[in-house]
Amino acid sequence: MTRPQVATFALIALVALATGFVLAGQIRAQLLTPSNQLARYQALVRNVQELEATNADDRRQIASLRVQIDGLESEAAARSAATQALKSQLSDLRAHAGLVAMHGPGLEVSLRNGVPGPDTGGKAGYLINFQDVQDVVNLLFAQGAEGIAVNGRRITPLTAFSGSEGQIVIDQGTPFTAPVKVAAVGDRNRMQEALDDPSALPDIRARQVQFQVHLTFEGSPDVSLPAYDSSLQIPHVSST
Amino acid sequence: MSARPRTARRASRARGISVWLIALLVALVATVQIRSEAEVERSLVGIDSTSLAFLIDDLHRANESLDAEKAALVRLRAQLQSGQSGAADQVLTDEANRLRALEGLVPVQGPGVVMVIDASGLQALDLQDALNNLAAAGAEAIDVNQRRVVTGVPVTQTRDGVAIDGVVVVPPWKISVIGDVNRLAAVADLMAQQLRADRRVREATYRIDSDVVIRSVISERPFVYAVAS
Repeated sequence: MTRPQVATFALIALVALATGFVLAGQIRAQLLTPSNQLARYQALVRNVQELEATNADDRRQIASLRVQIDGLESEAAARSAATQALKSQLSDLRAHAGLVAMHGPGLEVSLRNGVPGPDTGGKAGYLINFQDVQDVVNLLFAQGAEGIAVNGRRITPLTAFSGSEGQIVIDQGTPFTAPVKVAAVGDRNRMQEALDDPSALPDIRARQVQFQVHLTFEGSPDVSLPAYDSSLQIPHVSST
Repeated sequence: MSARPRTARRASRARGISVWLIALLVALVATVQIRSEAEVERSLVGIDSTSLAFLIDDLHRANESLDAEKAALVRLRAQLQSGQSGAADQVLTDEANRLRALEGLVPVQGPGVVMVIDASGLQALDLQDALNNLAAAGAEAIDVNQRRVVTGVPVTQTRDGVAIDGVVVVPPWKISVIGDVNRLAAVADLMAQQLRADRRVREATYRIDSDVVIRSVISERPFVYAVAS
């Protein structure tokens, strides 16, 4: 192939590439222009994504800082018996607060969305929502669970559940949707019996029939729970 | 002489391949572009812009809390690194006291709200929802009729009514909450309005208190099954 021919092909390729970009850009612009609604949506979504990335990064830093502090406390405890006693008390309190990773016998509950159907009460009943998660967590605690994590997020004494429709938010974490996995350490048999009880979790049971919402659980000899990685500040509380 | 047609055929084939390659490239670029658009659209399914705005607000608040936690932990680390005599003991003691308050093991006080709900027929789920709403509004300590409540304390339905940790709490429920007064009052107001619309509810009120005192405590329960990793 001669040099002019190569140059011609290169030119054709460049023009075609540029055409491709222009075409794609045009399609994109056409998607946006009708009301600019999608552009606003995208801006909001980008904002959410950026905040979620910051959130994940902050939680990583918090986990790392807690590990560093634990190391420094252990160093101090090695130098003094009194400090060692304090450290031991604190370790126990941290474990109960969910600040320490733990494992033990327990079970895992899976919650999955059902199928859309004729709805009632203006709610998307086929979606697993934060109240379902809250109900399962409360049931497990009532049956002696010693620690619980939901989709890898540890439940603490201050935990709150929120969200809308199928979005679930736990504490300062980012929202997530079903499938949801609730892992609990504790008396496996007691928790299993409670989940088997047809009178427990009435709302979920009704939606199992109506929307085929899924609730399954499985016992395990060793369930692992991560440490809590968010804020546990109580700035307005003081001891009496 | 037969080399010339062969060269021409080769050149023609090369041209054909080039055209196909270019077409493929253009199709690829266009597909990637369109799919990325579709991707964004898919992620928005079921979330309207108002919900997204609320989500952004929540994430801002969550990230502010995380920032505050990071700052507190950095201060703690600096104290421990200072190596000053007694610094570690002070850090450990302060942290233990904070966790005791947070876990409901000691009496506490602070600004907050006090709600009174008098009703017949309210179930454990109603109280759980009310407590969760307050927790989501930043409640740092909660008491219901002299029973301390944190997440994990069982609120159950019994034949005699709603029980907290096995003890029946008879209405009216007096819910004392410590935390950010503005956020708690906003939620308490909303809850009171909703409750008043419920036929079962005789009274649903709240008041802001600059010094809510919670004396009830939870007994510490040692772990039987759980082992620290």
